[in-house]
Amino acid sequence: MAQSSLAPAAAPAAHEKLKALGILALNGMFDEMDAVSVLRYAITEVLPGDMAIVSSFGADSAVLLHMVAQVDPSLPVYFLETGKHFPETLDYVETLKKQLGLLNVHAIHPNPDDVKRFDPNGDLWETDPDSCCHIRKTEPLEPITEQYGGWVTGRKRYQTSERGVLPHFELTSDDRIKVNPLAYFSDADVIEYRQAHSLPEHPLYAKGYKSIGCAPCTSAVADGEDPRAGRWRGLNKKECGIHYDFNGAIASPMSAATRHTLWKDGAFIADPFKEWAEGANPSEARYVHVPMAEFLANREAYLANPHPLGLKVSPGDAIEEAADDLARFASIAISFPAFTDGRGYSTARLLVERLNYAGEIRAVGDVLQDQIPHMWRCGFNALVVTHEPTREALKEDRLPEMALFYQPVGLSEVPMGTRPFLRRVS
Amino acid sequence: MYRYDEFDAAFVAGRTAQFADQVKRRLSGELSEDQFRPLRLMNGLYLQLHAYMLRIAVPYGTLSSRQMRKLAHIARTYDRGYGHFTTRQNIQFNWPKLKDIPVILDELASVEMHAIQTSGNCIRNVTTDQFAGAAVDEIIDPRPVAEIIRQWSSLHPEFSYLPRKFKIAMTGSPNDRAAIRFHDIGLQAAVNAAGEIGWEVWVGGGLGRTPMVAKLINSFVPNEHLLAYLESIMRVYNRYGRRDNKYKARIKILVHEEGLESIKGQVEAEFAEVRGGVLTLPQEELDRITAYFAPPDFADRSGDKVDVAYESIIDPAYGRWLDNNLHPHRVPGYASVTISLKPVGGAPGDATDTQIDVVADLAEKYSFDELRVTHEQNLVLPHVAVADLRAVFDVLVANGLAEGNNNLITDMICCPGLDFCALANARSIPIAQEISHKFAAPERQKEIGDLKIKISGCINACGHHHVGHIGILGVEKKGGELYQITLGGDATEGASVGKIIGPGFEAEQVPGAIEKLVDFYIANRTSADEPFLDAYRRLGEAPFKEALYGTV
Repeated sequence: MAQSSLAPAAAPAAHEKLKALGILALNGMFDEMDAVSVLRYAITEVLPGDMAIVSSFGADSAVLLHMVAQVDPSLPVYFLETGKHFPETLDYVETLKKQLGLLNVHAIHPNPDDVKRFDPNGDLWETDPDSCCHIRKTEPLEPITEQYGGWVTGRKRYQTSERGVLPHFELTSDDRIKVNPLAYFSDADVIEYRQAHSLPEHPLYAKGYKSIGCAPCTSAVADGEDPRAGRWRGLNKKECGIHYDFNGAIASPMSAATRHTLWKDGAFIADPFKEWAEGANPSEARYVHVPMAEFLANREAYLANPHPLGLKVSPGDAIEEAADDLARFASIAISFPAFTDGRGYSTARLLVERLNYAGEIRAVGDVLQDQIPHMWRCGFNALVVTHEPTREALKEDRLPEMALFYQPVGLSEVPMGTRPFLRRVS
Repeated sequence: MYRYDEFDAAFVAGRTAQFADQVKRRLSGELSEDQFRPLRLMNGLYLQLHAYMLRIAVPYGTLSSRQMRKLAHIARTYDRGYGHFTTRQNIQFNWPKLKDIPVILDELASVEMHAIQTSGNCIRNVTTDQFAGAAVDEIIDPRPVAEIIRQWSSLHPEFSYLPRKFKIAMTGSPNDRAAIRFHDIGLQAAVNAAGEIGWEVWVGGGLGRTPMVAKLINSFVPNEHLLAYLESIMRVYNRYGRRDNKYKARIKILVHEEGLESIKGQVEAEFAEVRGGVLTLPQEELDRITAYFAPPDFADRSGDKVDVAYESIIDPAYGRWLDNNLHPHRVPGYASVTISLKPVGGAPGDATDTQIDVVADLAEKYSFDELRVTHEQNLVLPHVAVADLRAVFDVLVANGLAEGNNNLITDMICCPGLDFCALANARSIPIAQEISHKFAAPERQKEIGDLKIKISGCINACGHHHVGHIGILGVEKKGGELYQITLGGDATEGASVGKIIGPGFEAEQVPGAIEKLVDFYIANRTSADEPFLDAYRRLGEAPFKEALYGTV
């Protein structure tokens, strides 16, 4: 465990300092590729004695650490010793320390009580990687980050699309400064620098590991693949959480117990419908939402099928094409692959207001609490919800709902023939 | 002007409470930035290069002095003592803290203001002519209908997650001062054969990467069916607008790719379904809203005159201001006054808290408590008695707001550029400042006459460079900043998109390049009465190109 006494006391509010300097001016001061100058200025001018670096000692950590060693070998370097690293990574920590002459490297360990409580078998990464990152990275790092006014990171613009606009100097929402000397470095720049300075390579790099984190959640990437594609492969996860923001906690540990996800009439209930499987026989399908294209391609067979069926409408499908057959379906699932895709709202209104469909209309996909009130107004009457905070909000009846509407929508909000701005309180 | 009733007040309060909860959830980490982004955007909150930016709606550009004072208070208390007026007739603050946002929104709500839908992929603030309700050339004051559109589009459940943002502009005058042909939908007041007033509907205009002039989709939609018609367009766009590429997601691309006739067919089919339904606007409702915009109680001052020629001899600065910054009012003895936010060497559109307060005082005292924001980033006192002009001018002089340069070469539109914006490739404010220094001499500006320069720091064109008579576009080339120059753009009813005429220039070469173009124009115009744009249209691109780059 890192000793907090090793770190200097927090300097006067970094934000004040930054205001005086003007972060905008800082970002214009340096050539995009002049990482060493950015680093030197940050360490010696912006926050002398009040900066540190967290390094993963991963595939491309050597470059930034080499720069650190040139500018100030005694800069505190923290390493998240999650307990899940490849042995090669731990060797690599020692190699770099020695070869670069880093004087102030500290390992940060997870809280043993948290590990015992949330990950007694050491397999949390498998069921809930967000929580695993949380107890092994985010939580242990927090007391350390609080001690510094600023941090050096090795993040680069090319790494993930979320990082596309990364500048050299950033202000976090809790008034700390993040310095990203390598913001403009490409993969090729990193390799070139490493070769130019004969820096040791991570032992796994040659085996195809281009971005290296904990062993269970890292896999090799193919040639031409995004270097970070090997992190949390197969999961919709790109960051461990420590880079979102210092106060941006990620999901807390929770049980993975099976649960009902269909919300209808004020409760989560058992869902009679199952996932539709590609290639299923149209005449044998039952209790599945048949995708629109599949239904249209095998319309006769589905109409002859005696079992309860649903229809799945995806963005881009024109619901009018099934207008004559809607009565056939007990449920229509309108999918939201991303909550930002608003086509489903139009589909729902057309179903209710124009096509007179009176059955279940459920929203599936990226269904979040902030959109649900819109969904109710557009005619949805059921939701499939997996997002935990949204589930909680539904159960506790605290959706961010507006009680007042300006515009009439649906069949009931304003009776036909009355004035459009007859305002209704829900 | 429009006043909130209990419903409006409760609506905004409800929305503020809702967003305060969302901010709390973001601060606690329950909401990720990805989930928070569309929510904050729909409440006008951007994350810029290094801080949040709050954009506050000024519906159709109209403010009371009380509202204006509140903006000054916010600038002073929660920001760094200034605000920036935008080309969407809004105001934005560049340095608020996330934790202060709910308080700021509460403050705004107390003066009937909000930041709802000033960003995000929804229907944005409706903009209009800054001289609405005052201009002598107006068919009808567009603001009552703009207010009705504001209400209809506020938190519309079907149209809150459109493929891309959606902007509506309208004008009640045949002289388009609201650039309606460069909006997703532009509405132009029209009179039909029966003498009824309705709207021409233009669709698919826009600037950005792919500038397009809007196309006329319907030459007359009466007031009663306007909302149904707009909803029909919105539904076609929501369902069929492209979502695979954010740069091709605006309705202009849909109209361009599918063709006006196809889109018109779809819109008309949709309109046939919804026409006459719940969105039909009864005359009583229109009358009720229109009553809020009743003209103020103008006195009979038709005998009052100002002798500009005489004043120019006594006090040239005052004379210039009278010459350039007044717009004819429909009531004799009154004028609309443009307050320039383009001082030489300043950042176009910026005003300090003190200046904002001063303008509020002037509006209260001399303009029936009303003021306007223009899409060209200036302020307007719409109803000033001619007899009060000198008093107004003196106050403006004392507060650095008396630049008499409206519509002249230094009255530039300019985006925030690389100094503030996360999207920018190049600085734009310093370019505007250099140009204004170059042409600072009033005699020189007068000699040049009407000339609109518009500057954008990137291809997204927030500085409207495509419609500048001279447009300047900052691009990134080999790690440096380079500026392309376009000629012949026009944001008015003569709508045209400027053309790039040759290779770009380094920042320090830009003012010199502009000067070459200006000198060529002056040497070749038929008379001082032929403005730059007319001369360009008459002479064509070639001689200007030669003037700028030399002979091949």
